[in-house]
Amino acid sequence: MRCQRARKWMTAAVDGELSPRRRRALDGHLAACAACRRELAVTERMLTALEGLPMEAAVSARLEQATLRRVRLAAADEAERAPASRWTRWLPLPAFALATAAVLVLAIGIVRRTGQVPGAPAVRPAPKLDARGVAQAPPSLLRPPRRFAEAPPAEPPAKLAEAPDLFVDMSIIRNLDKLTHFEAIQTTTLDDEPATPDGLEPPSNG
Amino acid sequence: MKRRAAIALVLLALAAPAVRAQERHGRPWQELTPEEQWRAWENYQRYQQLPEQRQKNLERRYQQFRDMPPQERQRLRQNYDTYRGLPPRQRQEFIDKYHRWKGRK
Repeated sequence: MRCQRARKWMTAAVDGELSPRRRRALDGHLAACAACRRELAVTERMLTALEGLPMEAAVSARLEQATLRRVRLAAADEAERAPASRWTRWLPLPAFALATAAVLVLAIGIVRRTGQVPGAPAVRPAPKLDARGVAQAPPSLLRPPRRFAEAPPAEPPAKLAEAPDLFVDMSIIRNLDKLTHFEAIQTTTLDDEPATPDGLEPPSNG
Repeated sequence: MKRRAAIALVLLALAAPAVRAQERHGRPWQELTPEEQWRAWENYQRYQQLPEQRQKNLERRYQQFRDMPPQERQRLRQNYDTYRGLPPRQRQEFIDKYHRWKGRK
């Protein structure tokens, strides 16, 4: 098998989509090709990182409280400075709404852009070592940035409108095989056969 | 009486395709919560970047999922929540076990 074909089959192999015959052929190639083993390890890590992406951004209680405090202060400040004329009596209300909207937009923007909740401690995990003692890239480097920050359109594209649940449940659907046999997989033991240095299964030629 | 029965039959016949479509494709877009619409929209954009073969695989698996009884779908959702709740090390261990399990099948 050539590397090009092996790489074509890799994502299917990671997803458990490959037929046993192809899986054996791929395993045979991987046993002999270090470059493809590395490629598979990267693909697995990427897919795992993708699955680990949060569905929604969390906002800390501290940020929420700070936001509300600032909004209250801004509103009180506006109320103090509000002139007595008739039309400006309504000013505090839009000012309050504007301040709330501005702070929320700012907070959401920070969280979505950086993936970090302001005020929360930045936790940097220690670099993982693989079986050869080589430091692997930290998960933050593997995790792709959130590229789709724009809001969903009012009129979804035909494909999305036709079967929205396909896209809502895509994470489940991608992992259908794993989730269907979840209990059986959990009871599988790993210690009867040693794994190869890349964390790959040894080729099963039988 | 006969007329009422006929009207009921006509209404049923008219509603049947919509019911079948809902069974096949799930809820319409408007019934999704805003959070679900966000998630669906993001996943749709990821889906568009996949090769055609992967898109077809996903659609095939989606139909498998839709064809499952509701209890089974619920079980899978619970398993997914459990999986998502695993710490990274345990999650990786689960994936390793999955490959081992798959190889033994």
